[in-house]
Amino acid sequence: MNALTFELKSAPEFPLDVSPLIPDRLEGLDLQKIKALKVEYGKQKTSVSSLFRVSGRDREHIRIQGSTSRLQSVGKDMTRGTVEISGDVGKFLGQGLKGGRLEVHGNAGDWVGNRMTGGRINIYGNAGDYVGASLPGDTFGMNDGFINILGNAGDRIGDKMRRGMIVIHGQAGNFCGSRMYAGTIVVLKEAGNNTGVGMRRGSLILARKPAHISATFRSCGVLKMQFLRLLFTQLLQYGDEFSLFRKFGAEARRYTGDRARNGKGEILILLNTNSGPQ
Amino acid sequence: MKINGVEIDDTFAEAFPMKATRIIITAMNLKWAYHAANALRGFATSVIACGVEADIEHELKPSETPDGRPGISVMIFAMSTRQLAKQIPIRVGQTIMTTATTACYSGILDSEETVPMGRNLRYFGDGYQISKVINGRRFWRIPVMHGEFICEESAGVTRAIGGGNFLILGKTARQVLAASEKAVEAINAVPGVITAFPGGIVGSGSKVGSKYAFLGASTNEAYCPTLKGQVKSELPENIGSVLEIVIDGVDEESINEAMRVGVTTACSYGPKKGIYRISAGNYGGNLGPHLFYLRKILS
Repeated sequence: MNALTFELKSAPEFPLDVSPLIPDRLEGLDLQKIKALKVEYGKQKTSVSSLFRVSGRDREHIRIQGSTSRLQSVGKDMTRGTVEISGDVGKFLGQGLKGGRLEVHGNAGDWVGNRMTGGRINIYGNAGDYVGASLPGDTFGMNDGFINILGNAGDRIGDKMRRGMIVIHGQAGNFCGSRMYAGTIVVLKEAGNNTGVGMRRGSLILARKPAHISATFRSCGVLKMQFLRLLFTQLLQYGDEFSLFRKFGAEARRYTGDRARNGKGEILILLNTNSGPQ
Repeated sequence: MKINGVEIDDTFAEAFPMKATRIIITAMNLKWAYHAANALRGFATSVIACGVEADIEHELKPSETPDGRPGISVMIFAMSTRQLAKQIPIRVGQTIMTTATTACYSGILDSEETVPMGRNLRYFGDGYQISKVINGRRFWRIPVMHGEFICEESAGVTRAIGGGNFLILGKTARQVLAASEKAVEAINAVPGVITAFPGGIVGSGSKVGSKYAFLGASTNEAYCPTLKGQVKSELPENIGSVLEIVIDGVDEESINEAMRVGVTTACSYGPKKGIYRISAGNYGGNLGPHLFYLRKILS
């Protein structure tokens, strides 16, 4: 079946909340009812048909075309199916995501995967700040699930993250993994300043040595980490885009910290990212 | 019915429902995976006194294991999930965890029931253990002197069948053992089955009960060659030795197939090499829900 496609008639002038466009909300609705659905557009509620051309049938596979960074809350609270976006998206991509898959063929704004508890987000471009991070007032950030960013990501990635995995193929901004409670963040290019600061537990895996590591982290030396073997082997199962991990060795310098908290987190700096499994 | 001159008794093996789990052991190399696997499956011949029945299922290539190292899959059977839950953490903790460079994973995923592994063993980490959820599976990283012992949270449990069996009757112990060894080799190639006894062969098959009230199982005198004249024996004059092969498997099909290849291989020795008869052990068909008729399997 062909994907249910929402094509923007013109670039939106105001923030457009497309959170109703998920398989959970569209199941069992005929095309007329879908067109009549109301979405928040700026300060108003507007029907879907006034903004989008709607075609296709498969309610489990939704495609949004002509997207811009004004589109917000894509895939909010989704539990299943796929939402594919051609173009950029704005803030709160995959907020409260519980299951299913979000595919963004463009860049994403801030707060990707906020309050996420499952599912998978693939961003083929860059992501903004606060990926998987907690909103002010929230106890935890991302609670489970998988975020894969092929480009770069901004500051405060995984702030107060509780569980799950974030893989950034490009660079990460400052305060990456700050105040983490648990979970795994992998950064394949440079990470910014204050990486891992305030982390309680969790793993930060950096393919390149960061410019600076906080004095509250202590080195445990260079080790062959059995955990990395397991992680890289398992990552291969997530898809072809992870085949580069096949080349990664298990040798890493392990830092533990942040000792200003309970010091049970770790930063693993990979030493051998192209010599193959050992 | 005769195969290659070997008489096939018109009887059946009687088997019981069991619960099984599969554990995958990996190590730096196969040698150390075997050290762990052999320790894990030690003293696990029969549920009568060992709690579980266990055996190595097969070797695994690095591409088949969760961490990309060579591994071994071990199957463990017990009468109930509770029994498994009692035995698995003890055995994994005392054997796999103590073996250098090993890691331990569940070989059955997405099962309704599980038994704890890392869930209990993590406390060995004394607060330094780390939990990691990858691909929806929870692994525990327990810091140990060789590095890190990685152990999956729990192992999946599946329904299984235990007690598929057949008896090889022949002239001498040497001849029957030769045929039995080959039969076990053939059975080991069948996926989803194990032969938990040493070498896959039972030298002292038992019956239920005893003249002694305190004993639940005792020697099967009807098949003891030295008692032929003394008891109501199942053995004619020419039989000097009987060996039993007991098969546990994940389903009826796998046990059927294992019994078929086992019996066929044993029969290939023929009367000239001292193999005269194939029989099977049962309790009259009233106790076990799974009946494996020898002639039906072989036809």
